[in-house]
Amino acid sequence: MVKRKVGLICAAVVLIALLLGGSAIAPAEEKEVYIVASELAWAPFEYKDEAGNAVGFDLDVMRAIAKLEGYEIEIVDVAFNSIIPGVVAGKYDIGASGFTIKPERAERVDFSEPYYLSDQAVLIRTDSGLNIVTALSDGRKVGAQRGTTGADWIQDNLIKKGVKVELKIYETYPLAVLDLINKNVDAILQDEPASRASAAKKEAIEIAGVIVTGEEFGFLVKEGDPYGLLPKINEGMKKLKASGEWDRLMTKYFVEYFGE
Amino acid sequence: MANNGELEIHSGKRRRSIEKLVLIWNSLPFLLKGTVVTLELTFLLLALGLVVGILLALGQVYGGRGVGILSSTYERFFRSIPALVLLFLFFFGSSFLGLNISAFLSAVLALGFRSSAYQSKIFRGAIQSIRQGQMMAARSVGMSKFQAIRHIILPQALRLSLPPWSNEYSSVIKDTSLAYAVGVIELVREGRYIIVRTFEPMIIYVTIAFIYFILTYAGNKSLGHLEEKLKIPGFETRGGKE
Repeated sequence: MVKRKVGLICAAVVLIALLLGGSAIAPAEEKEVYIVASELAWAPFEYKDEAGNAVGFDLDVMRAIAKLEGYEIEIVDVAFNSIIPGVVAGKYDIGASGFTIKPERAERVDFSEPYYLSDQAVLIRTDSGLNIVTALSDGRKVGAQRGTTGADWIQDNLIKKGVKVELKIYETYPLAVLDLINKNVDAILQDEPASRASAAKKEAIEIAGVIVTGEEFGFLVKEGDPYGLLPKINEGMKKLKASGEWDRLMTKYFVEYFGE
Repeated sequence: MANNGELEIHSGKRRRSIEKLVLIWNSLPFLLKGTVVTLELTFLLLALGLVVGILLALGQVYGGRGVGILSSTYERFFRSIPALVLLFLFFFGSSFLGLNISAFLSAVLALGFRSSAYQSKIFRGAIQSIRQGQMMAARSVGMSKFQAIRHIILPQALRLSLPPWSNEYSSVIKDTSLAYAVGVIELVREGRYIIVRTFEPMIIYVTIAFIYFILTYAGNKSLGHLEEKLKIPGFETRGGKE
């Protein structure tokens, strides 16, 4: 009798799980699998390799930390602008997508210790004859990706200060690169590693110069860190740095990647 | 010397076009994987839209005042909100209600309910085009209202609905690409992965466009065949054809 009841309950649970498309049902104190949200459109931090695997510096660090700290992760690809809303709504547990630690963001989510220091690079066409100053002066069209610090920098340091540049916003970074090559914009502002990745792939474009912004990247979790993930992530990063694994990943994604 | 230079340019061009073909060939397995997701999403949302759409149409035509108001409110709601906003409402909104539904399911629900509102218009028009006398005749030979709808009205109305319904298919199959915004990895998204790696948007987008064209064309062709197959001699709805 009891067995039959258990069987029935199991069947019901399976049915519900199937109906919900295999998603987690109720949040608990500790989860078996934490969902890591990332936009896989930003090499070398997060992208899909030729075999179709999700790779990149952020993702490899996430996997290594999960292994060290003894939890499982699942990586999901989410539009960059949807990651923080998704973390706030509890859809994802960790955001790992080259997020610059900014006060506006820190009001809504909690950040880990910074793990990467990035500057902004100015990308131009090789044959344009522009330099970092002329590329960002009156009358130029400058492109950036929606929601990025590059777009903010153009607003705050050029447009608001009276420089008459025209800002063009793109949904993804590769589209901005295409428009630069097609001569629809004169320059693109983007984080240095991503800029170097595109300049290495395309002969028609090069980096005119770097604007030192010293932005710190952090991993983020829901406000209040309900699953106690931040101490684990911070601890994991320390262990990775101590073991030399951190340097190996830095070399793999920020040196070897560009040597292809 | 000049000839040599020209030759080099020629071979360079040829090499680049071969590289492009290789890129398309290598991309196909990933694009086809995305195509499967696109088709699953399209099939499920159309099926949901079909069932709800027919019920809505019946409710509007035969239901009482209350049912009529309810279904037309539903229809207006889903027809007046952009698909992308609906996707966000279902995906993020469900969490606030304490439900944790997957991205795929929320896309099926959001786009399916939206499609049901459009489909209900198709079915309502078709039902209303069946002469009222048929319902009266059916009732007068002793059929209940339900039996008359089931055996007399719907079989005719659904046949009439096929041409506009194939239009709905052509429309929603392309709407599914919006589901990426909540994290469904469908055809366009798979294509973007390759673009990010190669910085070759044009080649990949043209390939994707071609796949959508085939899907839309094949779907419309099959629905056209279905229409031919189901037609009742003497009751053709298409004029001028044989």
